[in-house]
Amino acid sequence: MTMLRNVELRARTAIGRPDFLLIAVIAALSALGIIMIFTASAPRLEAEGISRTSQMTRQMVFVGIGLVAFVVASLISDRNWQLLAPWVYVGSLLLLIAVLSPIGAFRQGAQRWISFGILDLQPSELAKPAVILVLALLLAPVEENRMRWMRIARAMALVALPSLLIFVQPDLGTMLVFGFVVVTMLFVAGTTVRQLVALVLVAAIVLAVAVQLDVLEEYQIERLTGFLNPDEQTLSTNYNQNQSQIAIGSGGMFGRGLFEGTQTNLSFVPAQTTDFIFTALAEQLGFVGGVIVIALFAILVWRMLVIAALARDRFGQLAASGVAAMVAFHTFVNIGMTVGLLPVTGLPLPFMSFGGSFYLAMAVSAGVVHSIWLRRARIPGDGVR
Amino acid sequence: MRPGWRLASIGVLVAALFSMLVLRMWFLQVSEIEDSLEVAESQQVLTVTVDAPRGDVFDRDGTELMAGTIANLRVVVDRRLVPEEREDELIENLSTLLGISAEEIRDTFEENGEGRRFPVGGEIGQSTGIFALENIESFPGISIEPVPVRVYPLGETAAHIVGYVGAPGAIDLERPDISARDQVGKFGVERSYDRLLRGTPGRITYRINGQGQILGVIDETPPQPGGSVVTTIDLDTQRFVEESLAAAIRLARQEGETDVKRAAAVVMDPRDGSIIAMASVPSFDPTLFADGQISQEEWDRLSEDAVLNNFAIQGLYPPGSSFKVPVYALALEEDIYPTVDDDEDDDDGGINPFPDDPTAWYSDGQLLFPETPPLNDWREGGHGWVTLSTSLHESVNTYYWSIALQIWNNRGVEWEEDLLQEWARTLGFGDRTGIDLPFEQQGLVPDREWFQFHQRGNTGLVRTEGVWAGGDVMNIATGQGALVVTPIQMATAYAALVNGGTVWQPRVVDSVRDAENNELFSNLPSAARVVDLKATTVLRLKNDLRGVVSAVNGTARRAFEEFCDGEGPGEEAGGCPALDEVGGKTGTAEIARATNEDEQDIDTAWFVGVAPLSDPEWVVAVVVDQGGSGGQVAAPTARRIFQLLMGESPDPIRSGDDTER
Repeated sequence: MTMLRNVELRARTAIGRPDFLLIAVIAALSALGIIMIFTASAPRLEAEGISRTSQMTRQMVFVGIGLVAFVVASLISDRNWQLLAPWVYVGSLLLLIAVLSPIGAFRQGAQRWISFGILDLQPSELAKPAVILVLALLLAPVEENRMRWMRIARAMALVALPSLLIFVQPDLGTMLVFGFVVVTMLFVAGTTVRQLVALVLVAAIVLAVAVQLDVLEEYQIERLTGFLNPDEQTLSTNYNQNQSQIAIGSGGMFGRGLFEGTQTNLSFVPAQTTDFIFTALAEQLGFVGGVIVIALFAILVWRMLVIAALARDRFGQLAASGVAAMVAFHTFVNIGMTVGLLPVTGLPLPFMSFGGSFYLAMAVSAGVVHSIWLRRARIPGDGVR
Repeated sequence: MRPGWRLASIGVLVAALFSMLVLRMWFLQVSEIEDSLEVAESQQVLTVTVDAPRGDVFDRDGTELMAGTIANLRVVVDRRLVPEEREDELIENLSTLLGISAEEIRDTFEENGEGRRFPVGGEIGQSTGIFALENIESFPGISIEPVPVRVYPLGETAAHIVGYVGAPGAIDLERPDISARDQVGKFGVERSYDRLLRGTPGRITYRINGQGQILGVIDETPPQPGGSVVTTIDLDTQRFVEESLAAAIRLARQEGETDVKRAAAVVMDPRDGSIIAMASVPSFDPTLFADGQISQEEWDRLSEDAVLNNFAIQGLYPPGSSFKVPVYALALEEDIYPTVDDDEDDDDGGINPFPDDPTAWYSDGQLLFPETPPLNDWREGGHGWVTLSTSLHESVNTYYWSIALQIWNNRGVEWEEDLLQEWARTLGFGDRTGIDLPFEQQGLVPDREWFQFHQRGNTGLVRTEGVWAGGDVMNIATGQGALVVTPIQMATAYAALVNGGTVWQPRVVDSVRDAENNELFSNLPSAARVVDLKATTVLRLKNDLRGVVSAVNGTARRAFEEFCDGEGPGEEAGGCPALDEVGGKTGTAEIARATNEDEQDIDTAWFVGVAPLSDPEWVVAVVVDQGGSGGQVAAPTARRIFQLLMGESPDPIRSGDDTER
């Protein structure tokens, strides 16, 4: 016991070795993302008479910004994150309100962006780490199987507030992320299985009522129903997915090679640098490349769960598992969509899809997890590894 | 206490979800890769069909154009290149440019369907085309292109032979080489030789991107132009025959045959079955169909007079006395001559003036059978003593009835009862001649089987009471009753009887040639069958055909008067050696209209002739539908045609003898 206490004391004061595996995986995914963005955008840009590297260059800038954010987030101690959490949450709420005001830009049928000249900010992306932090703060005091319904209700309220603002934009994907994250975090925080089942049931009923009351936009329902009738190729929403599957399918075992992916390079697949970046990868690098990417994400999620297990307190544990859930959900839903397992929901692929706000949100989230790692509990034998 | 199991179970869940992704990718990329590759490939190419230029149609010398193709400048819309949201704008702009209603253009769009390429509107001028191209941003997806249009420079001349092209019907579309936007031959040579005229379309396969932009050419097969058809038609003769038929219709009208509808004629070479001229008057102008925009009004007008039908091969007429020639030949072949004399008045005509001719017979103008009213010859009082020869010159009905009766009375003994019908079929009646033109009619040679079928079925075509009898065969022998033939059958049968027995399969096309004049297809003369005729039969027939136009009592004598123009060799002293080379037979098929006294009888006037008799080169069959008597209308028309063929100056058509009523 004495030894353990000593370890605890040391841990509170000293910063440990960085998690090189976590960093390496993120770096690998980011690099692959940049390459894929280049191969998918270059022929089109060239045809339009724009520099072939322009989109890739922008993503490299985003990755650079993300790197800084990751380092900064790592340097901020988990205790300070705990203190910052409410402010981050309120700040992101304010941004979400701002996006709905005349400041917000209306694009592709949705009001999601705040334009800062060359950089467009998408507050719904930044809201993701904010919600995770504030939920971790709320749920940290709970002990195993001692969760009260009142606290669950407060957790839901914390999620509902930004969800409502996002819903008005609308952005169905982000709401689903929130749903998955909050359920995962409640589970980690110590709900009973019965509570969890009840929660999921209530969510299902709410969703059903929402559909009945025409709360969902037509295109959202269309995407969901279109997914159920994959042969009706006339639906443009289905077109995306069909093209994506054709592209992935034609990749084969080892892919067609960079720039050889005809479906990707001839622009048959829409949104191929953002939502469908995985398509470009799977066509050009094949099954092997796709599995490597999925494996990288698996390692990433596994690392984050390990960090959650090693966190020195409940806040750290909950925050890390929340980020793990977010990354896992994004990955599954995005790739599931491109391979035709899931409907089109517009969730990008972490660290790979083109987009500044999203990359920044992911980098900050990973930075928070890394901060927790750096200040983790030194359990016996850990130093040996 | 650390709830490690909770984190571990999240890990398991994520692992499970990610495994699903890997499985799905295996399915897409490894196990079903063939499907994906195929779909991907097909999306990246665009195959455009390049129409092959349609071949021309020429006269027998290969010099005069009967059907050809010219290029008209037209607006062509490629709907793949028209953004959907700009389609309405394009239609509006085209409407202004072409001066046709937007509705009409929209119909064209709908008929052709999405993703199609098709011309809009009619021919445009150069300046209109340039204007559209200069303002191309107002006309997305259009191009100005020469679009092939079929032309028929002869107009109504030989229209039934040339035919026309039009939009494909349901049956045409079953052919693999025809698509809905193609034009196919609908009639005439255009139809029967469509496949050879059409050629083989070429294809260009482009590589395209997701926006449908063309990136390059993958494969190109140039179109193979269609072959050019060389017909057997002599256009000078053709034009002359058509004019003569028009004149014949006018003559018939003058003679009081106000119901006269039309006339048809065939000029055939009995040496090889080729058609030198073939006319059905009134005719039509195939150019009306060329742009596929014939109006309902025009169509109705054409349909009312049935001018689109080629009556030379589609018209069914009772042959009347012109059918006596086949019966005549049968009589000589089988030695069937009248012996019966069932007169009431016992007038046996006294002494036979032709004791050496076994065919001699006395005609008193009546023939009697048990249980039927006496049958009267068209000439009251009869023709007196006749032989087979004079029976043909004078067209003695009773003589041929007697032959029929002879056949009937000896049925089952010397021959089957349908001896005459089988003979007619051998000569090509009752079946299509197989001419290389569409929609030929087969006609009808009635027999007992046919009669019983219709009597049992109560079809109204035959009498409801009584059985098939000798009278029915007698009707056939004089070309009456249910027997119907086409002019082409008549020409074919006469040709066979004068050429020694070859029943040709008539042909209007000699060959199909490519651009280098190589023969792609050679339509050689082809015999349907060869009948073994006695040489004496042919010789006597030719002599007696001459008698019809030359003998004192010949039914066509008056029609052939002044045949020679007095300028040829041997014509100085008023002689006419050319006329000695012409023979033929008149025919008047009469259908009495008992229902209405005021209406005229339906008379079909025939003349089928042969020249030169010493070595026949032409068989001419003329029929004037509801034109009166054969000697009166048809024979003078044939005379005029023979004058041309024999190198005499053709005289205007004047009325001949009213015979065979």
